[in-house]
Amino acid sequence: MNAEQRRLWEACEQSALWRQWGPYLSERQWGTVREDYSEGGDAWNYFTHDQARSRAYRWGEDGLGGISDDRQRLCFALALWNGQDPILKERLFGLTNCESNHGEDVKEYYFYLDSTPTHSYMKYLYKYPQAAFPYAQLVETSRGRGRQEFEYELLDTGVFNDNRYFDMFVEYAKASPQDVLIQITVHNRGPDAAELHLLPTLWFRNQWSWHTEADRPQLEQVDAAAGAPVVRATEPQLGARYLYCDGDATLLFTENETNTERIFGVPNRTPYVKDSFHEYVVHGRRDAVNPAHRGTKAAAHYQFMLQPGESRAVRLRLTDVAPDAWARGNGQSPGPFGANFEEAYQARLREADEFYAELTPKSLDSDAANVFRQALAGMMWSKQFYHYDVDKWLEERGSDPFKPTRKAAPRNDHWHHMYNGDVISMPDKWEYPWYAAWDLAFHVLALTLVDPDFGKQQLKLMLRERYLHPNGQIPAYEWNFGDVNPPVHAWATIFTYRLERGLTGEGDNEWLKSVFQKLLLNFTWWVNRKDRSGRNVFEGGFLGLDNIGVFDRSAPLPTGGYLEQADGTAWMALFCQNMLEIAGVLAMTDPDYEDMALKFVEHFLWIASAMGHVGQDNGMWDEEDGFYYDVLRLPNGDSQRLKVRSMVGLLPLCAATTFEGELLRRSPEIGERLRWFLKSRPELTAAIHDPMKQGVMGRRLASILDETRLRRVLAKMLDENEFLSPYGLRSMSRYHEQHPYVIHAGGQEYRVSYLPAESDTGMFGGNSNWRGPIWMPVNALVIRALLQYYAYYGDNFQVECPTGSGRMMNLYQVAEEIGRRLTSIFLRNAGGDRPVYGGARKFQDDPHWRDCVLFYEYFHGDNGAGLGASHQTGWTGIIARIMHLFATMTQEKAREERGAYFRAGSEIPVEAPAATS
Amino acid sequence: MLELSKATLAIFVDRSSNRWIVRDTDGSFWLLPPVAEPWQHREAYQPAEDGELEPVPAHYKYLLGLPL
Repeated sequence: MNAEQRRLWEACEQSALWRQWGPYLSERQWGTVREDYSEGGDAWNYFTHDQARSRAYRWGEDGLGGISDDRQRLCFALALWNGQDPILKERLFGLTNCESNHGEDVKEYYFYLDSTPTHSYMKYLYKYPQAAFPYAQLVETSRGRGRQEFEYELLDTGVFNDNRYFDMFVEYAKASPQDVLIQITVHNRGPDAAELHLLPTLWFRNQWSWHTEADRPQLEQVDAAAGAPVVRATEPQLGARYLYCDGDATLLFTENETNTERIFGVPNRTPYVKDSFHEYVVHGRRDAVNPAHRGTKAAAHYQFMLQPGESRAVRLRLTDVAPDAWARGNGQSPGPFGANFEEAYQARLREADEFYAELTPKSLDSDAANVFRQALAGMMWSKQFYHYDVDKWLEERGSDPFKPTRKAAPRNDHWHHMYNGDVISMPDKWEYPWYAAWDLAFHVLALTLVDPDFGKQQLKLMLRERYLHPNGQIPAYEWNFGDVNPPVHAWATIFTYRLERGLTGEGDNEWLKSVFQKLLLNFTWWVNRKDRSGRNVFEGGFLGLDNIGVFDRSAPLPTGGYLEQADGTAWMALFCQNMLEIAGVLAMTDPDYEDMALKFVEHFLWIASAMGHVGQDNGMWDEEDGFYYDVLRLPNGDSQRLKVRSMVGLLPLCAATTFEGELLRRSPEIGERLRWFLKSRPELTAAIHDPMKQGVMGRRLASILDETRLRRVLAKMLDENEFLSPYGLRSMSRYHEQHPYVIHAGGQEYRVSYLPAESDTGMFGGNSNWRGPIWMPVNALVIRALLQYYAYYGDNFQVECPTGSGRMMNLYQVAEEIGRRLTSIFLRNAGGDRPVYGGARKFQDDPHWRDCVLFYEYFHGDNGAGLGASHQTGWTGIIARIMHLFATMTQEKAREERGAYFRAGSEIPVEAPAATS
Repeated sequence: MLELSKATLAIFVDRSSNRWIVRDTDGSFWLLPPVAEPWQHREAYQPAEDGELEPVPAHYKYLLGLPL
């Protein structure tokens, strides 16, 4: 067990709170739903970036490369000024949804370079221009661009020309769970000397202004230790913490309170407000900060003039060690920045290297290992303290659900049971600084590579009474908790259970049981709410795939009637399979779950057969095309398939799971009951794969597609003129580039074309596009399914891959090929370029940029360039799992050994560590 | 049914006078002067017919020291 694994163990056992401090500060709190108290729910314009420096937040905090404790009482982050900017740089800037031609978009360059799962070591890079930040230019130019044009990026403004910028590396290393070492290293990359004001800032989240019961915490300057300025932070629950600042810094103090003069026009009660440091540094107002050296927000003000190529390091220490304790230590009085600082810093860095050296498959070359580590670093950095008490929020906007005089709230009216106040893995801490239920399930696939315990905790969190709706619905995301996301929670659950069992030899059955009970509620919600006709075919609306349909699937249809959705129904078939897997595991030790296992076998069969049978000629399967489509049911009883070849039609392929037959062997009665059911209802299996037919190693396969249909769908999926791109599977077939799908309704034409890059409509905010680009999560689902099919069919099932190439592959090889193509998005190609960076030459050529990897939200369907949110680790972090999978597995293992991958996985501690290191 | 006659506490800003305005649960409007305990020194306020009060979230009531 290496040192980081030991810390993980201690964190899991709660013998040491290694996770208490972490990167839990958001990159953006302004423009969020929870800070929005506008009448109409205009979150982006109610609390703007311009207000953020002056207005105290109600529910959370944001900052640059920052950290906080896990309840976000105390926060730390950078503030910067280059002598040119109109404002102090305290947070990332980006365009709001309506300002940009492709929806909200951060306009900064920052990178999550490293993190261990306990955050014992972390590294972040921010690139700060030396010229005035072109705020207005970004807004104005973007506003003038249409949806057919590229986004206007910060590099396009020329502000990085001649490398006139600072590289700001921020590193955190924990000497102990409560002792965080901070090192900020600044490099002047430009050709001239340049000025920098660096203000490492410590502040309390403002809770005292919004409660009568909240005690006011305090920051104050105390006597220096060994010459280092010191801030003491006192908060009732947290106790005392000290920020030691090495070198020549001036301590500044103010209050984290709203500048009411600037925001509301009403005179301030105190001159010391949230934006006082901005006034002090940018406008030279010395009276803006508190001369008494106390407040709730403090900064150490460093000023440098850096020569070309020069670098400077600043060290700080946030710790529970009081100044007088340093003097007592060994009688040596080493001080907070003595040798112990460097020793601990170097030790954590070395241990981080050891941790990743053991985790990273040996077959990955240095470039791939770098991508792998940064993907996981992004997963770790994307944790955020998310706080939202919906009942309180409704009450504060006059929409108290139990008051008859209430106003209607613009959203989340029916979710007043929600109290969220937890560290949660975010999709992207700037663009999507709120949890999204189905994203989170995918996050867990990557998170469990380094921290299975955190993955388990995340899955259970969404099912707690503070999250799950009393009716059983899992909250989707804050813009509308009542939206419907695909039900992938059960899949992530059984995956995580099997992973832990494979690594430790023992699964956590108690955890699995508790999650299963709640998932039953969720399953029942789906069955009762989204199967309109009771015929086991499902709706669900957009189901996470935004603009993939010819119509907005979450809105009333222009034709009237409703959609029977191939993806909705396939998701439910997969949900059944996952619940069957869970029940089957639990039934091995508790017979009470046998009935549940049988229930989910039967339910799967009802749903799977419905996909083939319902509507007969107007069912979802199209025999002519060999593909699944949504079916439009019109009010007059007519129906038609909406023949858009998209990921919607590939998802039925994903509902495939092999079973070893352990439960049938253990409980013959279950087998008898199942055989009776199948015998008495032969029509159920007539159009799907026969679930009792044994394959390789005697396995059985639950699958919507029989072999014939599977081959037909695969032929389309693996056709490079349809779904298979050089960089993974497209979300829509390229067939529609030349053959748009067109339908007329209500006197209007609706059209879907293949669109490999950004969206050309405003549907779902316009910042995501499912009409062609490559999306990591659904590719991961396809890979999972192919491995299931391979485990059943083995080597005898071969397909041409790519279609028409004459190259035959078994389904493991096909999965591996898709994985290879996905991975190649991030790796340097033969020409030295990373496809993810497309034509951005700075990212391709500059040694200070080219190995910093961004994991975008989705990727160009033809050239792999990154699109959408730029820091979506987030679900794009799954690439680490895909790389690990194919680097540690073989065809033989996949075919011969059930759960081989889970046993071959990362080196997670399997037993308690020895008492001493 | 007593609840039905109660208004909801609401806070506003009057941009013309740069003052906080409070509507209490009886529906009366009050202007808060810029003093240490503004609620103790509140002044009756009559919203102008053509004036527009800008709503402020109710959680500012603690910041303003409103005992409501």
